Amino acid sequence: MKFVCLNCETYMSFEKVEKPAEGSLGVFFGCPSCGAKFSMVTNPGETQMVSSLGVQLGGRTAAAEPFEMTRGTLKEEAQAGAGQMAAYLNEKIQAGQSAGPATAAHSAPTAQKKEGEKSGGGCPFSAMVAQMGLTTSGSEAPGGATFKSEMTWSADAKERLERLPAFVKPMVQSSIEAYARKQGYSTITLQVMDDSKNESNGVVWSPEAEKRLENIPDFIRPMARREIERMAKERGATTITAQVMDEAKEKFMKFM
Amino acid sequence: MADKDLKGILSKLQYSDDAKVVQQITEQTRKVQERMAGIRHKLVVMSGKGGVGKSMTTVNLALALARMGHRVGLLDVDLNGPCVPRMLGMHGQTLTITPEGAVPPVGPLGVKVGSMDFFLHAASPVRWKGPMDLSPVWLGVMEMNVIREFLADVIWGELDYLLADLPPGAAADKPPVMAGFIPDLAGAIVVTTPSEVASDVVQKSVTYARDMGIRVLGMVENMSRYRCPSCGAEHELFEGDTEAMCEALDVPLLGRIPFDRTLARTFDKGVPLLDEAYPTLRRYREIAERVHALLDYKKVLAEKL
Repeated sequence: MKFVCLNCETYMSFEKVEKPAEGSLGVFFGCPSCGAKFSMVTNPGETQMVSSLGVQLGGRTAAAEPFEMTRGTLKEEAQAGAGQMAAYLNEKIQAGQSAGPATAAHSAPTAQKKEGEKSGGGCPFSAMVAQMGLTTSGSEAPGGATFKSEMTWSADAKERLERLPAFVKPMVQSSIEAYARKQGYSTITLQVMDDSKNESNGVVWSPEAEKRLENIPDFIRPMARREIERMAKERGATTITAQVMDEAKEKFMKFM
Repeated sequence: MADKDLKGILSKLQYSDDAKVVQQITEQTRKVQERMAGIRHKLVVMSGKGGVGKSMTTVNLALALARMGHRVGLLDVDLNGPCVPRMLGMHGQTLTITPEGAVPPVGPLGVKVGSMDFFLHAASPVRWKGPMDLSPVWLGVMEMNVIREFLADVIWGELDYLLADLPPGAAADKPPVMAGFIPDLAGAIVVTTPSEVASDVVQKSVTYARDMGIRVLGMVENMSRYRCPSCGAEHELFEGDTEAMCEALDVPLLGRIPFDRTLARTFDKGVPLLDEAYPTLRRYREIAERVHALLDYKKVLAEKL
C-alpha cells in the first residue's frame, strides 16, 4: 500500500509503525518533499491481515524465528465467546451503521421454506431428484429421463453409454461430444465413441504402436501414452507409428 | 487538488517497497525453495472427499517407502484435525526449535513428521489469536502461511520422499495452493472408496487438480473390501466401480486396500503394525512400489517400450 502527496506529486515514505491500541496498528508516512505527515490506523481485521502474512511492516530488524507466525498467533488455551472482530462489528452496529442486510438475511429462510414446501411435497429433495430423472434409490429412472444431448446418438452408442456407472456417464458423454464437435460430427455412433477414445489431442495410434504400448505396466501406460503423444506433437507427427516409438525409446534411454 | 490526475502523477513516479512487504514475501518463498531443494520427490495425498482414509493411506505409504529403504518425511497438512502423530504413536512430542529451524520428531522406521498436533495441548482444538472467528478470508491467509512455515521452517534435511496429507475442503490446503507452495511437486495420489458418492466428488477434484497443472499419479481405492479380523476372509463393503472411474479419467488404479479392523486398531492405539508380511501392509508396499515406478517412468519406458 502506498500513499501519494497530491501537493508534491510524490509517494509518501513509510516511516514507522506504532500500536495505538490492542488489535490496531498506526502506520506513519511522511512526504519527503513538503514534510506533511500522515497516519493510517488499522482496525482489528486489517491488523490481523498484515499479521497473517507473516511480515513486519518496515522490514525486519532480526531474522524470522522458526514458526514465528504459528507460535505467535496460536492461542494456548480455549477462549469461549466471540473475539475482537465480533466486538468491533457490534460496536459499529450499535453506533448506528446499517443493519439492513442482517434483516434481509433473517427473512430469506422463511421465504425459501415456503417455496420448498410448495414444490417439494414433503421431501425437500424430491423435486430435484425428479428433475434429475433419478429414483429415490439413486438409480436412473426407466426410459433414461436424464439423457440430454444436443447431438444425435445412435441406439447402440446410447446403449453402450447407458451401461457405464451413473457417476461417470456425464463426464464420458461430454468428452465424446466434445470430440464429435471438434471433428464436425452431429451423430454419435459406436465408431465415433471408439475414435474419441483412441484419438487424443489430435494424435492417432497405429495398431503396431498400440501393441508396443502394451509392454508397459498398466499403471504407467496412461502416462506413457501422454508422454509419447506430447513428444510426437512436438515433432509435428499426427500418427504414432513404430518409428515414433523407436524415437521415444531412444529419448527415454537418456534417462537411464 | 480535486482536479489532480492521479494516473498522470503515478506514471511519473518510481515505486519503492519501503514498507518491505514484497521483500519479506520474496524471502519467505526463497526459504521454502531452499528447504524443499533437499527433497527428491514431493507428493500430495488428496481426495476432495472426507472420511475416505487419506491419513491412513498417507501414513502407510510413508512407512512402506521407508521400509523400501527411502528417506521419508510426512507432513500432516490437516491443521484443524491433525491425526498423523497419534496414528504413529507420536502424540505429545514437539518440534525442537533451534536457530536453524525446527527439528521434526522422528517416528517409526525413521519417518520425519511435521504436524500441527505438535503445537497443541491434548484435546485442544486449533484456536488463533485475533479476529479469526468471523473471517474465513483472514483464516485462509493465516492457514496458508502456517503451511508455508511447515515447509520452510522444518529441518527436513535430505529426503527421497515428502508426503503431504491434505485434508478435504478448506481453501488454504487445497492442492493448487499446496502446489504453488511446493516447488517441483511430483504429483498427487488420489484416495477414494468404491462408494458412488465418493467417486462423484473425487473425479471433480481430479479434474480440478489437472486444471491447475498438477500431475495425478494415480488412484488408491481404500475400504475396497472388509477383511474379517477372525478368519481373514474379505467381503464387499460398497458397490461402486473405481476401475470405471479410473478408466474414464485416464488415471491408473494404483491398488486396492481392504478395510482392516486389526490394522486400523493398531493405528488408533498409536502402536502401528509394522510387520511387512501382514497382507494389508503388503498391498501398501505394492502401491508404494508403483508410485516409485511412476516417478521413474522414463526409465521403465526406456526398458520396456
